[in-house]
Amino acid sequence: MTCAACLLFVTVGCTSKAQRAGEEAVQAYFSGDPAKAVQQLKPLAQKTDENFVLNNARLGSAALIQYDLDQAENAFLRAYEVLNSFGVNSGGRSLGAVLVDEKIRVWRGEPFERAMLNFYLGLVYYMRHDYGNARGAFENALFKLRDYADNADRKKDDYSEVESNFALGAIMLGKCWQRLGRDDLARAAFERVTKMRSSLAPLADYDRNQNSNLLLVVDFGYGPKKVTDFDGAISGFAPKPQEEGMIPPPHVTVDGQAVDVAGMNQPPVDLLALAQDKRWQSIDTIRTIKSVIGTGLIYGGAYEGLRHHGDDGTALALIAAGVLLKATSQADVRQWEMLPRTVFLLPLQVPPGRHDVTVDFPNAPGLTQTWRGLDVPPQGEATYYFRMQRWNSGPFDWPPPAVAQLQAQQ
Amino acid sequence: MNADKTEVSLTLNYLRLSAFICGSLLFMVGCTSAVESGHNTALDAVDLQQMTDDMAAKIVADPQVQAAIAKEGRLPVVVQPVENRMVAEVLPRGPAQAFTARVRVLLSKHAPDRFLWVMNRDAFYELRNREVDIDLGPPPERVQPRYALTSIFSSLTKEDPKRRSAYYLCEYQLTDLGSGNLLWTGSYEVKKIAVRQFLD
Repeated sequence: MTCAACLLFVTVGCTSKAQRAGEEAVQAYFSGDPAKAVQQLKPLAQKTDENFVLNNARLGSAALIQYDLDQAENAFLRAYEVLNSFGVNSGGRSLGAVLVDEKIRVWRGEPFERAMLNFYLGLVYYMRHDYGNARGAFENALFKLRDYADNADRKKDDYSEVESNFALGAIMLGKCWQRLGRDDLARAAFERVTKMRSSLAPLADYDRNQNSNLLLVVDFGYGPKKVTDFDGAISGFAPKPQEEGMIPPPHVTVDGQAVDVAGMNQPPVDLLALAQDKRWQSIDTIRTIKSVIGTGLIYGGAYEGLRHHGDDGTALALIAAGVLLKATSQADVRQWEMLPRTVFLLPLQVPPGRHDVTVDFPNAPGLTQTWRGLDVPPQGEATYYFRMQRWNSGPFDWPPPAVAQLQAQQ
Repeated sequence: MNADKTEVSLTLNYLRLSAFICGSLLFMVGCTSAVESGHNTALDAVDLQQMTDDMAAKIVADPQVQAAIAKEGRLPVVVQPVENRMVAEVLPRGPAQAFTARVRVLLSKHAPDRFLWVMNRDAFYELRNREVDIDLGPPPERVQPRYALTSIFSSLTKEDPKRRSAYYLCEYQLTDLGSGNLLWTGSYEVKKIAVRQFLD
C-alpha cells in the first residue's frame, strides 16, 4: 500500500513541472500573448509523454493565431498521427491508468476534440491551397465523431445524425471538392449539409462558395470545460449550451462598409452541445466502482473504529485502503482549453486587392478584431483566421511576422 | 505462536516487495513514449520501401520504356510529388515527395545511363535552400523534361467505433509530356486494419 502511495506521489511529482509549463502557456494564450504560448509549448510538444497530443494541439492553436502555418501544421500532424493510432495506451499505461492514476494514459481527447484537431489541420492545408490534404483532414474529422453514434446507427452504418452536429466539417469538405474541380462531390456535400440542417442552406450554397474569394474563419467563445462531481470520480462537460445562452451572430465590415452576411452567420457547430454527448468508456465504470468501494471502505473503517470492541488496526487499514482507492479514482480532466464554442465560416466576394476587415459581435460588446491590408485575389479564395478574444482586437497589419518571413524566403 | 508471527511477517514482506516490484515495473512500462505503442492504417516506411523497390524494378524492365530509351537515349524525367486522393488520410509534403523521390534515387543508382532526372522546380529550390547534402541534379531550367513520373494514391477508408480499415491503391505513371501518352504505369496495393483497444 505504501509502495502504491509512493508510486502515486512519484507520478504526480513527475508531471507537475511540465504541467505547470503547459498551464502557463495556456494562460499566455488567453491573455492575448500567443507568441509566448508558442515559445513555452514548443519544447513540451516534442516530449512524447502522456501530454504529447494535448501539447501539440495547444501549440497548433497558438501558432495558428500567429499565422505560423508551418508550426501549426507540424504540431497538428504530430497529434493527428497519434490520434489515428490504436493501442497507444496498451500495456503499462492502461494498467497504470486503471490502478494508479488516469493521467498516466496518453491523452487522446474526446471525439469532439479529435474532430476539431482534424478540422484545424484541414484548415491549415486549406489556407495553403493544399486542397487534397485539406479534404483528407476534413473527412477524418467526420470519422472521429462516429464514436458518438448510438448502437442502431452503428449497425446501419449510418452516421448522418452525428455528422449533422458537425456541419462545419461537411461544409469545408464541400469547399475542398469545389476547389479540386469535383463539382459532383461538392454539390453532394453541400446538399447533405442543407438536408441535415436547413438553416445552413445559405452557407452551403454552391454558387456563393464558388464565387467566394475571401473566406473568414472566425473562432468565437470558449469550448466546454471538463468538470468532476464532488469526489472527483465522475466527469462531464460544462457549461451546457442553455446555461451559456445563444451564440451571437457576427458582423463584418470591409473597408468600413458593412457586408451582408445574413444567412451565413449561423453557427455550423456548437461544441458545448456536442460535448454533452460524452462517450462513456470502460475506464469510467472502473473509476466509479473504485470510488464507490473506496467510500464503502472508509465508512466500514469508521464503523469498525467506533464500535465498542472494534479493532483500531483494522479500522485504520480499512480507512487507508479506502482513501487510496478514492485517491486513484480521480477522473482525468485534461482537455484542449483553446477550443472555441463555435467556428463561423463566412465566404465573401469582394473586389480583388487589399482590404481592411473587421469582425465584431454587436451582441457581445468589446469582442472585435481588425486586420488591415488583407490580400484578396482575383481568382481562387484567400482564407483568414480570426480568433475572437477580449485582448486580441488589433488592429493587426497583414502580413503578420510569420507570413512576412516566409514571403521573404521565397 | 512466535513462529506463526514470523511467518506472517515474512509473507507481508514478500507481499510488500512484490507490490513494490510490480509498481516499479508498471511505472517504468507506463512511461513509454506516446508514439511507440500505437499502430495505425497509414502507409509507413515498409510500404515506402516495398512500393518504390517494386516500381523502380518494373520501370526498368518495361519493354516500352526500354524501347523509348533505345530510340531516344537517356529519358529526361521530371518527378512530381504524390497526389493525395486518399479518403480521410493526410499525406504531408515530405512523404508525398519521398514516395516518388525514392524511385528516382533507386533508378539513378541502378540505371544511371537510362534516365536523366530533372527535379520538380519547387522541390529543387526547397532542397537547395535547405542545403541538404545530396546530389540534386541539374536545375530544372537547364534541362527540358520530356517525361513526368507522377503518382496518385487513392484509398477506401472506413472507420467505426471498433476499427479503422484502409485499402490503398498507389498508382505510378510515366507520361510523355509531349503527347500525353502513358509510357508506363504500375501500381501497389495494400490493405490495413487497426483494431481499437482499451482506452482508445
